[in-house]
Amino acid sequence: MIKKFNLQDFLMSYGFTIIFALVLIFFALGTENFLTINNILTVLANAAPWLVMATGLALVIMTGSIDISIGSILFLALALGNSLMLYRGLPVAIGIPLVFLIGALLGSLNGLLIVVVGINPLITTMGMMFALRGLALWLTSGLVQNIPPALQQFGRIGLFKEFIILTAAVILVLVHLLVTRTTFGRHVMAIGNNAEVAARLGVRVKRVRFLTYVMSGLMVCVGGTLQIMQISNVHPRLGQGYEFTAIAAAVVGGISLFGGEGSIIPGLVMGGLTLVIVENGLTHLGVSPYVYPFVRGGIIFLAMYADAMKSRVMARVHVTKDEELTTASA
Amino acid sequence: MSAVGLRMVNIQKSFPGIQALKGVDLEAYAGEALAVIGANGAGKSTLMNVLGGVLRPDSGEIYIHDEPAEIHSPLDAARYGIAFVHQEMAMLPTLTIAENMFISTFPTQAGLIDYRTTNEQSAQALARLGCDFPPGTRVSHLSPGDRQIVEIARGLLIHPKIIIFDEPTSSLTRREKARLFDVIAGLKTEGVTVIYITHFLDEVFSVCERAYVLRNGETVGGGMIKDLTYQGIVQMMIGAKEVTSYFGQKADQAGELALKVEGLTRSGVLQDIGFELHKGEVLGLWGLLGSGRTELLRAIIGLDPIDNGKIMVRDHGNLKPIQPKDAMNWIGMLTENRRDEGLLLPMSVKSNISLANLRGLVTNFWPLVNAGLETTLAEKFVNRLAIKTSGLNQPVATLSGGNQQKVVVGRWLERNPTIFFMDEPMRGLDVGAKAEIRTIITELAQSGTAVLVVSSEIEEIMSVSNRYLVMHRGRITGELPGTADKDELVAAAAGNR
Repeated sequence: MIKKFNLQDFLMSYGFTIIFALVLIFFALGTENFLTINNILTVLANAAPWLVMATGLALVIMTGSIDISIGSILFLALALGNSLMLYRGLPVAIGIPLVFLIGALLGSLNGLLIVVVGINPLITTMGMMFALRGLALWLTSGLVQNIPPALQQFGRIGLFKEFIILTAAVILVLVHLLVTRTTFGRHVMAIGNNAEVAARLGVRVKRVRFLTYVMSGLMVCVGGTLQIMQISNVHPRLGQGYEFTAIAAAVVGGISLFGGEGSIIPGLVMGGLTLVIVENGLTHLGVSPYVYPFVRGGIIFLAMYADAMKSRVMARVHVTKDEELTTASA
Repeated sequence: MSAVGLRMVNIQKSFPGIQALKGVDLEAYAGEALAVIGANGAGKSTLMNVLGGVLRPDSGEIYIHDEPAEIHSPLDAARYGIAFVHQEMAMLPTLTIAENMFISTFPTQAGLIDYRTTNEQSAQALARLGCDFPPGTRVSHLSPGDRQIVEIARGLLIHPKIIIFDEPTSSLTRREKARLFDVIAGLKTEGVTVIYITHFLDEVFSVCERAYVLRNGETVGGGMIKDLTYQGIVQMMIGAKEVTSYFGQKADQAGELALKVEGLTRSGVLQDIGFELHKGEVLGLWGLLGSGRTELLRAIIGLDPIDNGKIMVRDHGNLKPIQPKDAMNWIGMLTENRRDEGLLLPMSVKSNISLANLRGLVTNFWPLVNAGLETTLAEKFVNRLAIKTSGLNQPVATLSGGNQQKVVVGRWLERNPTIFFMDEPMRGLDVGAKAEIRTIITELAQSGTAVLVVSSEIEEIMSVSNRYLVMHRGRITGELPGTADKDELVAAAAGNR
């Protein structure tokens, strides 16, 4: 099997990187402040929490499943944790891990309903999306809550951007290793390829799928906590639409919704950065913010189109050419 | 005689409505290759799935080297040193060769997969089969034959005591096959028990020492290969029971040419296929599983791409060449798998019949499907084909298999195809329903339709055909007259000429 250079294969593999580079060049040339250290830090710090939040969901998508409840999971977990810290004097050192724990528990509830009870993942997580948000609104009476002063202050420290970028980088590398270098990660991919075959080969499909939902709930709370320190409050619309931003980042980054395909690094990171960079660039160009959702939609379509093209090219099976049928029966 | 490597005692397994294994005993020795032979549905796959941990038997014991073995899962089987090389390839295309081979048995170091060992060991297993694919290659880049090699290499990986090959050669080239036979010989000298399942009897004679023949979930014979003959094995496979003769019912012989296929080739699947189909005849396309029967039908009607070939149909009196994508205008197709490919199960009998003909139900005046016409259409076929339903709105899912099949037939009849392909039209039907489908086929032919029937059941195909085409490994290897008997057909299909 000698690989020859093939323009189509090349564009399929690197097309996204090329477009990404072109976008960067366009903004760098078109605006004054885009390519400054400060703006780069801003972009990375904006993207960091999103990327962390999307890692868990990315695992779910890699199995070929979906979770649209993460925004509501985040809201409920933060509302609960924040209330306890604010009104019951729970120390931050316990409060934050508690938020993570609540996220993981809510994720495992998704996992139970989907894997054990066998409800369709979209329906399950949609139900959770509504129900958990309702619960959190009831808990907060629909009011804006400040976060504990200690966290607010931490969000304002000089090196906060660097802190958040570094933390996210470490987490992304860890999840990347989880996907590529652990049995769990490879089983996630195996299930995304074909759950039945995976089961026949000895993969514990139910267990792995359950764990991806736990990860999804946990990671949205980890990323969300990083973000909340920037926003400084828990507001009634917190987390709304986060699931779709996260799905968009994953899909734009080449994680196939059919499962079995994609990566955290570079995939998810590139996808998330693209979304943030384009919006940042548009800001510098002075484009109306109302245009952003339209542009985001366009990016998603482009990414899906590229994905569809890719699967169409891949679908052409390379058939072994040799003497086979002519001589096999002789 | 060497030690007993494997003993299966009184294995029973039933599925809803059928007892697949009626207490099968099997003994295999270390260092021998044992062939397990049987027609479709004889129970050989079920038996091997029990051994491989894919299915749990209802009762029975398994002993490996005289130790009782409790096999509840494929992993248990692997732990007892049983490797199962599946016929339908169990591959995860977006993962690499090495990952596919090690997916449930990754060696790890401090929680991380040890890719060095993984790659080394898979490369070694592949090398035994004479392959040098880099273990990091994605399986999606491999051809079906190469994937089969990976599948076999996966079996070798655990250094098995018992290895089951289920139709391992169906997608291998001659060179790869020879290599596999060498490996099997090597395994035998190492004292491994090889169990070899195949339809290709010639392979049995060249690879195996001993054979078991199963029929209807029971062992019906076997012995040392050197004491068996080709004809003897075939006799055991199909049983002494004579084919019921339906010749009287068969349609009259052929009219003018309706379909002509020349040089049809699909690389790796079909090779230079040519045949003619006449109006009013029922042509039986006969061959073993994997011989390319279904693939041929799919290629002609454009469901699979073809590399080469000419297809001509009779259109307004003239024979005209057509593209496969247009073939459905003349050819009706009953698919092999009516539940998945032919019917919308939750929908009603009426909707399923009208589905392919909705355009004809739209009147010019009011551009919506005319409910009255739809009902009339459905009633017409329910009556004509005697479909037993509680009403036109009964969901198709709740009909019996025979009636479901009739719904599919009815749908196509409305389009008046001049040619009808039927892939396994009687599969899974009870005797009564089979007879009804048979009558429908005969009537179709008598009314001038050209019918091509595929079936794995020799009795079925013999009961309707006026003429046979025999397929073997992607080629048409022969043509037999309607008077051919069972032995001739079986021998032709197994490639014995």
